Amino acid sequence: MIASMLIAIGSLTAIGIALGTILGAAARYFAVKESPLEEELKAMMPGSQCGQCGFVGCAQYAAALAKGEAPITLCAPGGKVLIESLSQKLGVAADLSGLEEKGPEHAFIIEDLCIGCTRCIRECSTDAIMGANKLMHTIIVEACHGCSKCVPVCPTDAIMMVPVKVTLRNWHWPKPEVENTHTEPGVVHAH
Amino acid sequence: MSEKNRIEVVYALPREQALLELQVPPGTTVAEAIRVSGILQAHPDIDLARNKFGIFGKLTQADAVLRDRDRIEIYRPLRADPKEARRKRAAEGKIMKKGGGETAA
Repeated sequence: MIASMLIAIGSLTAIGIALGTILGAAARYFAVKESPLEEELKAMMPGSQCGQCGFVGCAQYAAALAKGEAPITLCAPGGKVLIESLSQKLGVAADLSGLEEKGPEHAFIIEDLCIGCTRCIRECSTDAIMGANKLMHTIIVEACHGCSKCVPVCPTDAIMMVPVKVTLRNWHWPKPEVENTHTEPGVVHAH
Repeated sequence: MSEKNRIEVVYALPREQALLELQVPPGTTVAEAIRVSGILQAHPDIDLARNKFGIFGKLTQADAVLRDRDRIEIYRPLRADPKEARRKRAAEGKIMKKGGGETAA
């Protein structure tokens, strides 16, 4: 009686140890590395390599995010839309209170001031400015990521950042209290 | 090499930019692509004798042959006179940005 009990206990223990070892080994050898997450995060970035987050480029910021070393609110061109998708992806709560007043922006050239020097064109990493030497430069809004790198290089201060017009693609359901406190007349916010 | 070249024709106004994608056979020239794109019909204010055009910020001739993924840009003239603008800035005593804050990489 005692012998059969011991056999049962012994065999189950042996099975437990064996399966546990296999599972442990599998977890170690077949472990999915962190890089797929990093790749996914990188794909979510605007990809304009503007450096406003403080990292060299989008890939470096994605790597820091994957390791949990950087806050998810640093990407200015990505705006609130990116922060929200990042917070869903990473399961991190985002503090959006400080960002509310500044929606996504794009560059805009004041035509009376443009002297056609092409400095902004050379600065643009998304080819969003078209123009040539001594001819009018124009922002292609669709291609502009709002990194504002072109603003400081303009010798005549002809470039300013303006809010992106709300379209069906970037429209965001506003929270009632946010709408009441932050909506100014005549200003279109793209939340 | 693909059989057709994918190119774009762009005419940009401050509030509205026309960015037309089209596929043209190899050997197509800039003038032909502009004609095929239909941008002249969409924007009657373009006058190819007056508006200069180029590819990615560089002026080109009408008979230049396109390469794959070229972006033909139809430019508009400046509204400000650069020399006059500079004289005005100097008169206002604004500090001239030498090199526009460019740093050599």
